[in-house]
Amino acid sequence: MAAHVHERPLGGAILTPAFKFLLALCGVWVLLVLVRLVWGLNGPFGYDTLLGVSAQSDGYAWGIWKPLNVVTFTGISAGAFAIGLLTYGFNKGEYHPLVRSAVMAGAMGYTLGGTSIMIDLGRYWNLWVIFVPSWLNWNSVLLEIALCVLAYTLVLWVEVAPSILEKLQASATPATAARAKGILGGLKKVMPFVISLAILLPTMHQSSLGGLFMVAHTKTHPYWHTGWLPALFLMTCLTMGFGAVVVIENLTTIAWGKKLDQALLARVSVVPAYILVAYIVIRVADVFWRFRDPVILARFESMGSPLFYGAFFLLELVLFGVAAAMLFNRKLRENRGTLFGAGLLLLFSGALYRFDTYLVAYQPGAGWKYFPTPLEILFSITLAAIGVTVYVLFVKLFPILSGVEATTAPGGQKSAASH
Amino acid sequence: MKISRRNVLKGLATAGVAATAASLPVAADAREGYQVQADDVGMLFDSTLCVGCRACQTACKVRNKLVTDTRETQGGVYDAPLDLNGNTKNVIKIAQDGSATTYMKMQCMHCVDPACISVCMAGALHKVAGGITAYNAATCVGCRYCQIGCPFNVPKYEWQKSLPIAEDPKIVKCELCRHDQRGPACCEVCPRGAVIYGKRADLLKEAQRRVKASPGKYAEDRVYGEIDGGGTNVFYLSPADVSFKALGLPTLPREPLPALSENVQHTTYTLGIAPIALFTALTVVQLRNRGKGEQGHKEEK
Repeated sequence: MAAHVHERPLGGAILTPAFKFLLALCGVWVLLVLVRLVWGLNGPFGYDTLLGVSAQSDGYAWGIWKPLNVVTFTGISAGAFAIGLLTYGFNKGEYHPLVRSAVMAGAMGYTLGGTSIMIDLGRYWNLWVIFVPSWLNWNSVLLEIALCVLAYTLVLWVEVAPSILEKLQASATPATAARAKGILGGLKKVMPFVISLAILLPTMHQSSLGGLFMVAHTKTHPYWHTGWLPALFLMTCLTMGFGAVVVIENLTTIAWGKKLDQALLARVSVVPAYILVAYIVIRVADVFWRFRDPVILARFESMGSPLFYGAFFLLELVLFGVAAAMLFNRKLRENRGTLFGAGLLLLFSGALYRFDTYLVAYQPGAGWKYFPTPLEILFSITLAAIGVTVYVLFVKLFPILSGVEATTAPGGQKSAASH
Repeated sequence: MKISRRNVLKGLATAGVAATAASLPVAADAREGYQVQADDVGMLFDSTLCVGCRACQTACKVRNKLVTDTRETQGGVYDAPLDLNGNTKNVIKIAQDGSATTYMKMQCMHCVDPACISVCMAGALHKVAGGITAYNAATCVGCRYCQIGCPFNVPKYEWQKSLPIAEDPKIVKCELCRHDQRGPACCEVCPRGAVIYGKRADLLKEAQRRVKASPGKYAEDRVYGEIDGGGTNVFYLSPADVSFKALGLPTLPREPLPALSENVQHTTYTLGIAPIALFTALTVVQLRNRGKGEQGHKEEK
């Protein structure tokens, strides 16, 4: 086995113009949160106005913040899950250089997803009730998600901790260094258990994120409503995770000129292709199987707009299919540009499936419409900006990225502004 | 070394297959769910009797101390809710089916086995005596999953409220006036007896009697709510020319709506076997591989 490539901090100036721009976006997010806290989820002017904080209503009780900030962000974060499963579960040590970056992105994604849920809760001050065992309703898929996501977010930060501790170990203050070394030693002992949790927990809640809509039989279009929702969400969260690893590796390389192990990325990218084939087979077979049932057919008729729903259903399948085909083609996946494209496609197709299930397929009844307000979209964008900000800060300060030359330390003049 | 790794991978694969298999939609009838109880109460709404006077709407607002809704009349003199909302637990609407019209009274259906209760994280929505689906804001976090789960779109949220000072936002829905000994105000004031209150069993008998007495008078010659979605405690009769669907009542499967998700959930997590198996397998794999890796390359400090 090749010598382990050690991760290094990028170093370089932190307060670059791009970073200041990101900070400004973070500030906008704080303002939006304040408006939401004072005037409620619709803001001072109501849900059906251009200035609404969100367009959520009694019909569409969940808007884009759930499928985007929670389900898509954590789907992107599933890079930590996907790479962790390969590296540790299947003992593919060669993928180790990808782990820390993926885990860092994962920790941020989950922290933001969790934050978004809490801001979206109408009665957030009551959240403590989900920790009172005797009150809990274990039938609730959402409860499983809430507890599991909270636990996993903690686990991810524990996984990030070694990077920080390694840096502290080199501290000039001997006491701090000794302390960091001690904690690091302890962490190393429990790490296998932490990593097992880091694979088990996302298996549980990423499937449940699809399972949420199993209860909404009559409101979710039959193309999407199935008992296979958990399995399908689990599979696509893995494909999104692999896509995220490819995309983030490329973006950090573009931004900071670190070395990119294209051969390694190409090798790992075959895995999502196989998952997608399984996904497409199950997805199509399931629709054919369920549509034999006259009740399902009647529901399909009564929900109307067959072309609209059919178009989204087919678009999903085509995107998944193209992504799989690209990744199976050796030439395409070994080329940096096309693999980057395939990675983006993995992210986009998985995100589309999530948006479709949560919003496109959802039909609460006659008369209800939903389209996110500008501020609602801005909330999501600025929330993502926080993630990029913290990620950039961490990779500059702590040993997270691999392929960073020791000599390129003062490099970071450009940073990834868009993400 | 090769052999032991293969064994370990086999173990992992087995656990993986077990976990996946457990998460598949098997029709295991492990779930009991809520059943009809002898003292369950409910309502019967006979649309052929309703004249749309909306006395029930007003009485509901008075007894439940709900604010008037004048949005549609731009702050005018009419309390004119368009639908159930944060100020309105009961509403009369016109239902149209082709050229035929009738009146529809909307409020909570008090399902026998409600989806809203199944999805509620800490029992803010729960069953109380009489089979009433009740709401307790003290354990409600405002996630609004009940609004997603309810097939009748009944639970409403107070969107205009925010801060937890006096005016904190709550979920609003009919609780059959359980706070008042007189029972539901809507049934008390209805001048035509279009909506009546009573024991679920008696109401069902009465509704069935009406259907039987006048064949062809009622839609589908049946009572909505007897079996729909596992049954509801509020029953509906619709004139023959206005379908239940036009009335706003969805076509539901016979089995309760929460059955699918609860079965999948329970099968997956029975006694925590699948998660524990997966966790154990993963840990064993790592500990073994770590032992092997120690002589080779030094990984992650």
